[in-house]
Amino acid sequence: MGLYAYLSLAAVVFSIGLFGVMTRRNTVGILLGIELMLNAVNINLVAFSRFHGEVTGMVLTVFAICITVAEVALGLSIVILLFRTRRTAMADHVDWLKG
Amino acid sequence: MDSPLDPLVLAVVLAPVSAFMLLALVAPLRRSGRPAAVVSILGAATAFVSAVLVWRGLDAPLQRVWTWLPDANGALASVGFLADEQSSVMLLLVTLVSLLVQIYSLGYLSDEPAPGIGRYYAYQSLFAFSMLGLVVAPNLVQLFVCWELVGLCSYLLIGFWYRKPSAARAAVKAFWTTKAGDVGLLIGIVLLWRHTGTFDFAELRQLVDGGLVGIDGLALITFCIYLGAAGKSAQFPLHVWLPDAMEGPTPVSALIHAATMVTAGVYLLVRMAFLFALTPDVLLLVAWVGAGTALMAAMLACAQNDIKRVLAYSTVSQLGYMMTAIGAGFASAGFFHLLTHGVFKALLFLGAGAVIHAVGTNDITRMGGLARRMPQTMVVFLVGTLSLAGLPLFGGFLSKEEVLAAVWDGGMTGPFVFLLVAAFLTAFYMFRVVFLAFFGPETSRESEHGGGHAPHDAPWSMSLPLWALALASMAIGVYFTFHHPETAFEAPGWLAPLATGVASGGVVLAWLTFQRKMISAEALAQATGPLRTAAARGFWVDEAFVAVYRGMLMALARIVGWIDRYIVDGVLNVVSAWTVSGGDGLRGIQTGKVQDYVLALAAGVVAVMWWLRGAM
Amino acid sequence: MTLEVAGFWVLSLLLVGSALGVVLTKNLFHSVLWLALALTGTAGVFLMLDAEFLAGVQILLYAGGVVTVVVFAIVVTERLVGTRLAHTSRRVLIGGGVAALFLGIMLNSLSRIVLPTSRVPMESDPTRLIGTAVMTRFILPFELLAVLLLVSLLAASYLARPEE
Repeated sequence: MGLYAYLSLAAVVFSIGLFGVMTRRNTVGILLGIELMLNAVNINLVAFSRFHGEVTGMVLTVFAICITVAEVALGLSIVILLFRTRRTAMADHVDWLKG
Repeated sequence: MDSPLDPLVLAVVLAPVSAFMLLALVAPLRRSGRPAAVVSILGAATAFVSAVLVWRGLDAPLQRVWTWLPDANGALASVGFLADEQSSVMLLLVTLVSLLVQIYSLGYLSDEPAPGIGRYYAYQSLFAFSMLGLVVAPNLVQLFVCWELVGLCSYLLIGFWYRKPSAARAAVKAFWTTKAGDVGLLIGIVLLWRHTGTFDFAELRQLVDGGLVGIDGLALITFCIYLGAAGKSAQFPLHVWLPDAMEGPTPVSALIHAATMVTAGVYLLVRMAFLFALTPDVLLLVAWVGAGTALMAAMLACAQNDIKRVLAYSTVSQLGYMMTAIGAGFASAGFFHLLTHGVFKALLFLGAGAVIHAVGTNDITRMGGLARRMPQTMVVFLVGTLSLAGLPLFGGFLSKEEVLAAVWDGGMTGPFVFLLVAAFLTAFYMFRVVFLAFFGPETSRESEHGGGHAPHDAPWSMSLPLWALALASMAIGVYFTFHHPETAFEAPGWLAPLATGVASGGVVLAWLTFQRKMISAEALAQATGPLRTAAARGFWVDEAFVAVYRGMLMALARIVGWIDRYIVDGVLNVVSAWTVSGGDGLRGIQTGKVQDYVLALAAGVVAVMWWLRGAM
Repeated sequence: MTLEVAGFWVLSLLLVGSALGVVLTKNLFHSVLWLALALTGTAGVFLMLDAEFLAGVQILLYAGGVVTVVVFAIVVTERLVGTRLAHTSRRVLIGGGVAALFLGIMLNSLSRIVLPTSRVPMESDPTRLIGTAVMTRFILPFELLAVLLLVSLLAASYLARPEE
């Protein structure tokens, strides 16, 4: 299997994640979509790294995973905060910026 | 190039401005009244003595210039002086009249509060400086600057009694009317500079003599310059400000609005005569307008009862004479009349001032029989009147005859006839004033002035200048009656008797009408009928101006208003309406929901990738 | 069909299927479980790419840590509200269209460039290489990452602190 296969797989996963972010009503659901997209990026990084015999991509993946963890922790705490102040977990209901 | 006369010429100009600076900057001195007057008079006296010395000592034209605005090659504009035959004589006239008027004002304004007197003398000194700077100006830039300065002084002095609404209005009117002409002058100067590349009189003269000045477009330039001169010298239809300017103190009228400033226009044309000679069409216009002004103003003078307005219209009329002579191509004749007129018109105004000061009214019908009360004043006023009427042995005789000769010799029969009629009317209206004011029955006039004490001759400070001017007028008259100056034109032999006869006719008619009452004044008025009615209203020139201005302004205002309401406002309204409705339509995009923003972002990325797909 | 190709297809199907499950299921809790499966699938892909260490990290941190935290958050919030969290989708057609367009252009672009088909051998064991790189060349980002984690830890506990 060549690099093309891995990149295509990553593209498919990324698109699905994007779809989730665009369509989910729940803030947690949106967060899950973002996780999928990040995973697709990680697959890309590792695939490039491996096919070029160069380790940098993998190192970046390590960093990306760590940052993702931090992001999830923060995102969820924001969700909880939102819940406490607005009594909702729906991103749909958070539209103070509506024109 | 250094000459012993240099410092003297400078002294003429700088003495008054030093006095002005002193009065303007040292407030206590200005407010002190009489000491301020003394400072100003000393400045004027210094200027006069220096002017006499310059006039006596001058044998060749003297020019000194200093760079004012530097330029890559030489000076763009310079200041300095050009003392030649014309300007030195003019200096003499200006300083003489200025000095005498300032002395006279001591008596005339004795009732003014001290700060007012200080202000008055500061203006007087500034005016003297500006006028002298104008006279000696070696180039058009300095001339224009001084030209505007004398206009400013004229405004300030007409409005000297600024609490009086009519005086304030007259000051503004004078300023605007002359300004209308000044715009023409400025345009003319700039156009001339583009045409020839120089402001300098001497250089211009060289260019003209060398035939290096193109004729194309020159007529427009000279016309513009003439416009400035017409405004300053009160030529029809810009003469309307001069009669109103009589709201100022009488000595001011004598100095500025008779002897000096109003002649600046004539002086300018005399200075530029060599240039005007190249444009005969403009000269013809100058002559016809001058003659028309002379005749019209003379008619207007006949219908006035205010002694100062009579004199003012007479000034307009005499300025018309000078202009006509210049238009006929003989500037020297016009200049000569300017000089003699300056002396005797100042005399007449100061005499009128003495009368007004004594009786407290300007109205000649309420004077009468003053000859017995004010014999001195009567004598000097009579000298001035005879000079103005142009009778032999008196100041205006020869100069008026020369003007007539010049016009005849210039082949202008029409203006010549105009001037002749005007000469007749001049004699008539002046003797009308004399007979009504000084002779005839005494009218009752208790209430107007000083609680009913009888009018009497003026104090020495006022009578001294009167006598000095009367003697000067007589001296000029006697001298020139027997010494005809060399002229470039031929006076026909029948001219002198004709002019004298016409003038005498005017005198006799006035005598018969107003002294002997053989001809009823009412009948005379009846005979001239509508003409007199028209003259009493100033031929509706003012009304015409008002109508034209009002019409133009209203039309302009309507157009501007329409543009503002429908185009400026309309554009704004349409744009704002578009903005509002556009915002209204676009606000739907802002759902405030994160997912939609991500959607838009993704769509944007897709679009960019679609756009870039060829490059990948 | 070699074992590698077969493994790849199986993993791909697993990954894509579970990813679709994440975005399509109506139950939030199921969604999280689908995500855990997708993350495990990703770990399998890492294994196929000879990155055993990353596969381990993926399972431990992601499938273990993240999913646990998310579940924890869901339980906490549901306890706060007292009802189940609604988990529906909106604008599925437009979102699907944009995502499909994106995917199409992406695949199209990938098909038009030349990509390597064989792997360049690594210098040594990838895990060893990663460890060396992190401790030498990437030491500064690595330290900064520690600071970042500390900051986000504090921030998260501050934001989610109990109400006064």
